[in-house]
Amino acid sequence: MNEAGNVTAAGDPVIKGPRRNIPRVDQLRRGFPLIFLVLLIAVFTIMSPRFLSLDNLSTVLEQGTVLLVAALGMTFIIMAGSIDISVGAIVAVSALVAALTADSLGVWAIIPAVAAGALCGLINGLLLAVGKVPSFIATMGTMVVYRGLVLYFTRGAPVSIDDDGFLWTYSDYSWGIPHSVMIGLALAVLAWCIINYTVFGREVRAIGGGERVSILTGIAVTRVKIFMFVLLGALAGMAGLLQGARTMAATSQLGLGLELDVIAAVVVGGTPLTGGLGSIVNTMLGVLIITLLSSGMNMAGVDPYLQNIIKGIVLICAVFVTIDRKKIGIIK
Amino acid sequence: MTLVASHLFKQFGPTRAASDVSITLRTGTVHAIVGENGAGKSTTLRMLGGAMRPDSGEMTLDGATYAPQSIGDATARGVALVHQEITINRSLTIAENIFIGNLRGYARAFGIIKRKRMAEVAQAALDRIGVKISVTTNIDRLNLGELKCIEIARAISSDPKTLLLDESTAYLDHREVDAVLKVMRELKSQGMTIGFVSHHLSEVLAAADDLTILKDGQFVGSFRAAEIEANEIHRLMVGRDLSLGTYPPRPPQADLSAPAVMRVDRVAVGRELNDFSVDIRRGEILGLAGLKGAGAEALFAGIVGDEPLRHGSIEMAGQPYHPGNPRHAWKNGIAHLPGDRGNEGLIAGFTVLDNLVMARPPTRGPFFDKTRARSMSNDLIKLIGIRTASADAPCRSLSGGNMQKVVLGKCLAVGPELLLLNNPTRGVDVGARVEIYRLIRRKAAEGLAIILSSEDMPELIGMSDRLIVLRQGVVAREFPVAADVEEHDVVKYMT
Repeated sequence: MNEAGNVTAAGDPVIKGPRRNIPRVDQLRRGFPLIFLVLLIAVFTIMSPRFLSLDNLSTVLEQGTVLLVAALGMTFIIMAGSIDISVGAIVAVSALVAALTADSLGVWAIIPAVAAGALCGLINGLLLAVGKVPSFIATMGTMVVYRGLVLYFTRGAPVSIDDDGFLWTYSDYSWGIPHSVMIGLALAVLAWCIINYTVFGREVRAIGGGERVSILTGIAVTRVKIFMFVLLGALAGMAGLLQGARTMAATSQLGLGLELDVIAAVVVGGTPLTGGLGSIVNTMLGVLIITLLSSGMNMAGVDPYLQNIIKGIVLICAVFVTIDRKKIGIIK
Repeated sequence: MTLVASHLFKQFGPTRAASDVSITLRTGTVHAIVGENGAGKSTTLRMLGGAMRPDSGEMTLDGATYAPQSIGDATARGVALVHQEITINRSLTIAENIFIGNLRGYARAFGIIKRKRMAEVAQAALDRIGVKISVTTNIDRLNLGELKCIEIARAISSDPKTLLLDESTAYLDHREVDAVLKVMRELKSQGMTIGFVSHHLSEVLAAADDLTILKDGQFVGSFRAAEIEANEIHRLMVGRDLSLGTYPPRPPQADLSAPAVMRVDRVAVGRELNDFSVDIRRGEILGLAGLKGAGAEALFAGIVGDEPLRHGSIEMAGQPYHPGNPRHAWKNGIAHLPGDRGNEGLIAGFTVLDNLVMARPPTRGPFFDKTRARSMSNDLIKLIGIRTASADAPCRSLSGGNMQKVVLGKCLAVGPELLLLNNPTRGVDVGARVEIYRLIRRKAAEGLAIILSSEDMPELIGMSDRLIVLRQGVVAREFPVAADVEEHDVVKYMT
């Protein structure tokens, strides 16, 4: 980019930028996650005919649910221009809490599990909004602490979940549909409503679009930030519970590295890390892309040692095409 | 060096930013390009300076073809461009800032910089433009005008024959503008050809030999500055005579018995404002004059709770009011239009509707009430005369003036009792200004109390009922009736 481009991107208020209609490229870009998803499905279907079978799709959806539930919460955080990399560790904490309480509480272990996640999120939110520690650093610290807590209490040994009621509710099937998928979709609808129909959703977007403007316009920025981290914590707690139910145990390794998939899903869906933009539908597309990519490569028999390399390259390419550089201005 | 451009065209999407612009910068003269916001001034200057390529048209330098592909190309041909924005990096020294584009020219082996040599050359450049700044000065201590001079020194360090200054003084106050004008005269006396873009007409007339007028991207004409009247320039810029009725008529007499909306008592904020007291009455426009940092911005920050009060107290309608944070202020009926539209006033990527209802979004239970938000926005768009395709158009698609109307709409949407305006027409074209002035005056007549802080002296005098001049955080002078105040009277107390 030449110097002129940089100056325009800086968006000085006095100079008026050129007006433009939405060019076709931008419309294409907006639809890119969907196009990419369709392409992905097409390629894998050709490589492995079994890919599109109902049985496989159900498995894929079940695998993707944990990612989806956490990514719903992450959408709020990224829309506001923050980040949370402790989400995988929160998943582990909540799975452990669920495992420890499932014997006595059964189905109602959901309450302490989600509460534990929310508490972890509250700490993250307070560190950012009150302590003014940048969210990347704050959650990098809490990630290690939360994961450390799980290790400390389990001493590295898995804690099994045996309660039948709990396992049935959170990991069995009804009418051929996994309960976890139903829960995930219900939460997606809820998150979609929050973003589109509540003042809170608009305020999150406003903070990402212009934090200084939001403060001066009287938005309760501190409160909104804390609440969005609590929301992500609670959703990560739910994700941990579902993951624990699926594997019938909580381990210290549970959700390890999940934060990368979660952030990748949100970004591949088309939500830029710079904030101000984002939608739940996009996040759902991103989750499907990430999940299908992993399971599709397995089914197509791609060398497991090659899969990570392909995954990384595909992610970079996807973001490369999706990001509207004009709107974001400076990329860092 | 004579720079001739003929029939330049530049189009962005559907917008003609510059259409058939022809301009001649004569050797050793100052040529001003004037016009309203969006007239194509910056586009033209950037094409001359190589920052932008024209779609069609030709340029020559002393008769030779000149078609720069980049700013670097233009510099190599002896044409240097100073950008409108301040591009000084405060974590570097003055000398490093001057040579930021050519640090390698001062590097020895392994890229280690010859600091002493660089400082000497930098000092020479500063001396040449006649500013009294030592390169060893801490860069944080320089004001905007001085920073602009550093940028000019940077531009002339490549020893150009032609210097192009882009809207160089839009953000500068009087003193700073004078400093830049002095530098321009100095360079002109050294034989430099200068092209510059400005908002301020008086400054154009003071400095320019020639001027070119643009309007809505169209070339209107080029003139000798000595042969054209200010009114005529104005008329050509906006296409109508504005000498009568820029500022709406004031009410015949201020109502001194009107109750005080706010009583500020010996308030101090930060290091900028000390022991400031004032009563703001219903329906009154109180003007605050002063240089940057004289206290007006600090007062606003203190009232809205963006900065804590060091001491002092504030009353609203007879009740004590403790500023906590901006949210608290809005709840108490105080609306605030910040001075920096892009970073503080509105979110350009959001729609007109999003911005208009941001301060107090209408709700139904826990939900955002989109229907009511839409009718509210449509009412505001009509009331304020915001020219937009619809309430759902992104603000970035609007002109500067219309963006500012959106910020004003956001303030009025909450039905405030007190409105704080910080340079409400900064970067706003003349046409939109008049509309904003009328609206402000009408709101005052309806009982709204308004504090207006502005660097635009005619605006301040034309709009205020009462005028307070601040200097270094204290009241230097109060004019109870602003109507018959002269500009130089005010400026006298500012410095």
